[in-house]
Amino acid sequence: MKGKIAMFLVLGAAVASSCGGSAEPDASRDTKEPVTLRLIAHDSFTPSDGVLESFTAATGIGVEVLRSGDTGTLVTKAVLAAGNPEADVLWGVDNTLLSRTLDADVFLPYVTVHRDDLDPVALGLAPNGEVTPVDTGDVCINYDRAWFAERGIAPPLTLQALASSTYRNLLVTSSPVSSSPGLAFLLATIAEFGDGWETWWRSMRENGVLVVESWSDAYYGHFTAASTGVRPLVVSYATSPPAEVIFADPRPGEAPTAVAALTCFRQYEFAGILRGTDHEEEARALIDFLASPRFQEDLPLTQFVWPANRLAEVPREFLDYSLRPEKPLTIDPATIAARRSEWLDRFSDVMLR
Amino acid sequence: MSDLLRADRLPRVAAVPALLWLIVFLVLPVALMIAGYVGVEDTIRVLRLDSTWRIVRFSTWQAVLSVVATFLLAAPVTWLIGRHDFRGRRVLRAISTLGFLLPSVVVAAGFLAVLPDSLHYSVFAIVVAHAYFNLAVVVRVVGARLELVDQRLVDAAGTLGATPLRALRTVTWPLVRSAVASAGIVVFLYCFTSFAVVRVLGGPARNTLESDLALRAFGIGDVGGATVLGILQLAVILVVLAIARSSGGRDVVPSDARTSALPRIDRRRVAGAVVVCASTVLFVVAPLASVAWRSVRIGGTTSLAAWSSVFDSGLRDSLFVSVRTAVFAGLLGVILATTVGMAVVRLGRVGRFIDVLAFVPLAVSPVTLGLGLVVTFDGGWYDWRAAWWFVAVAHTLVALPLAVRVLVPAWHAVPAGLHEAAAVLGAGELRRFLDVDVRFVRRAMVAAFGLVIAVSLGEFGAASLLSRSGAETVPVVVGRLLARTGDLVRTQAFALSTVLVVLCIGALLVVESLLGRNARARGG
Repeated sequence: MKGKIAMFLVLGAAVASSCGGSAEPDASRDTKEPVTLRLIAHDSFTPSDGVLESFTAATGIGVEVLRSGDTGTLVTKAVLAAGNPEADVLWGVDNTLLSRTLDADVFLPYVTVHRDDLDPVALGLAPNGEVTPVDTGDVCINYDRAWFAERGIAPPLTLQALASSTYRNLLVTSSPVSSSPGLAFLLATIAEFGDGWETWWRSMRENGVLVVESWSDAYYGHFTAASTGVRPLVVSYATSPPAEVIFADPRPGEAPTAVAALTCFRQYEFAGILRGTDHEEEARALIDFLASPRFQEDLPLTQFVWPANRLAEVPREFLDYSLRPEKPLTIDPATIAARRSEWLDRFSDVMLR
Repeated sequence: MSDLLRADRLPRVAAVPALLWLIVFLVLPVALMIAGYVGVEDTIRVLRLDSTWRIVRFSTWQAVLSVVATFLLAAPVTWLIGRHDFRGRRVLRAISTLGFLLPSVVVAAGFLAVLPDSLHYSVFAIVVAHAYFNLAVVVRVVGARLELVDQRLVDAAGTLGATPLRALRTVTWPLVRSAVASAGIVVFLYCFTSFAVVRVLGGPARNTLESDLALRAFGIGDVGGATVLGILQLAVILVVLAIARSSGGRDVVPSDARTSALPRIDRRRVAGAVVVCASTVLFVVAPLASVAWRSVRIGGTTSLAAWSSVFDSGLRDSLFVSVRTAVFAGLLGVILATTVGMAVVRLGRVGRFIDVLAFVPLAVSPVTLGLGLVVTFDGGWYDWRAAWWFVAVAHTLVALPLAVRVLVPAWHAVPAGLHEAAAVLGAGELRRFLDVDVRFVRRAMVAAFGLVIAVSLGEFGAASLLSRSGAETVPVVVGRLLARTGDLVRTQAFALSTVLVVLCIGALLVVESLLGRNARARGG
């Protein structure tokens, strides 16, 4: 796999250097020192070695990556530091937290040169260009194929079906209060059932759903396909099946797990220029780079998300094992922002007592 | 020169930087956080929630239970180590400290693997894991004091006809009582403010104030409400400390005990000692062994793939970063703890104030402190939010209460007579410090250095809350790897944890052997 990634990088670098004209530093400006931008991101931001360096090679702008905990921590700190930021550019605010940053006026608007190539739904979530869409992913029910095949039981196709006695004691999910996929799943149920979501969760409690602390507790503590656990249904990502294949040694012919497409909630991630930066112009160049095919093509195999730029080529192995739900569930960020804490309180009342 | 002869000049001079350090990096950030983000409305809202008071009750009773469990588990091995000399004693002490150093995420995952399903997400699991982590506190704090109890006093009691039990009650207990109280309070505070253990082993429905306020700050985005919970936590802890102080008797300090050697193990009791040794080692090592085992298991087969990636990738950098951070924190922490210890013992009222202040890091929620640091050092020349050494600064605060508990008794043990004699013979203040004080507190300084390094190597909360540029400390990387998909990635986390364990054992053995050499040098 390393070889492939390396080849991928070399090709990418060649492409970037051959069409890097637009990002050349302005020769007429008398800059005494080369600028190094700070890019602050959540812990899952793991670009391949050399990708950000290719930006520096093309523009003369250095990039220092700061990591800052999970998305919730990153966003809370960015809101506290609004106007007085730790970095110049932020990567990783998602649609469940976006409104919080917009309300706090964390970002400087900028419309990227790649705008026309980006996911239009994601663009619609920040119409004034406060942030730029960078990737998308789906949170869905994953199931252990072998477990269901051996017992001759059909895996659940819908959220409604999960409440039936066929699936008693089979599902494990992470808590929406402490985990981002858990929150996405709660939002999926709210998008699906509207005001009836609490009733559904009550019936799931009767049906023996297990709510645990974090995604990894659920997946690696209880999911039959990834642990010694006894639950063959888990709330995880739509890209978990390709990860099961790509990170396995030796690689299986097909993924041991699969996704129930009608249960998916779509997450969109954004990057933005932090208000208070001293290097707005350079930060714009970095935003353009982050949204460019060159960078976007690195995302699938390093962060297991889909590029937001439709021109970015997605690696074959990722396409082969991934499912892209056509009609994912979603909720408008402003509604999420307005009702999130109320929903979480009510969820805690129903499920965490 | 005449100024130098005034007895309390050096402690006062030394106390200034220590005080400044605590004010700048502890008091100021927390105060700014409270002043900036807490309103009357938030306070009323949070205090009215039923869940707030349920969480206060749960935090308290599980912590009390955890203290009892910790002492029950730690008592035999502490007695063995503190009162006996035997081959392998230092190794046993190092092993019993290990649990304390490990990233709680890893240990909690290990406990989930070891405990039967029916005990997952139970108070039992929380309490046992707390005892696991805090075994070290009792062994180190109480064990160190037990060592100082002069065997001749115990023997004298025996000669005068006291039964061993009576000698324990009338001679040993009064000498170690304050150390037991200290350790008990420290363990209570660690458990009361427990975060990762409660979250991973208790399940999402059980929360301490600390874990709930983290959820509130980062999950819900209610920073004001979270800070109110932080204040509530501080208040409860201050009440507990006040009660502990007022009920604690006068600290009896073992007198000139360094000349007496510890007795060997009585032949009739060898079997008991072996059982204590074996069960302690088993208790500590089992979860570690399961971590090591999992570092070579990928998807049901045995493979060294994770190990080769640890040594040829960026993961190696995190080991370097951890060691650099720990050593830096260790050096700063020892200076801080030594000066604080001196001030506590030599400066009356100011000393008592500093003593309380040095306990504050245990009481202040790391989340509140972390956010406070972020909003305080946010611009100009003091924008240190992403500096690598800032994590080490935070670690000196986290480790301070423990390090001070090691140094205060040592400063008490410096014989005043010797100090005065040196002064009469014309030794200046600095000379007396180097020739008298340092000789007596040297061992404690080395021990404190080891403790701070240990705390720093395993610390997760502050390190993950502060932003990191470039490489990160091992616990942070482990936490990140554990939260990702893929067997190999996960196995890397366990391989890295195994390296961390080995590093910690190495550091502890070095410290132990230094202590041993010092002891021999003095004896000879």
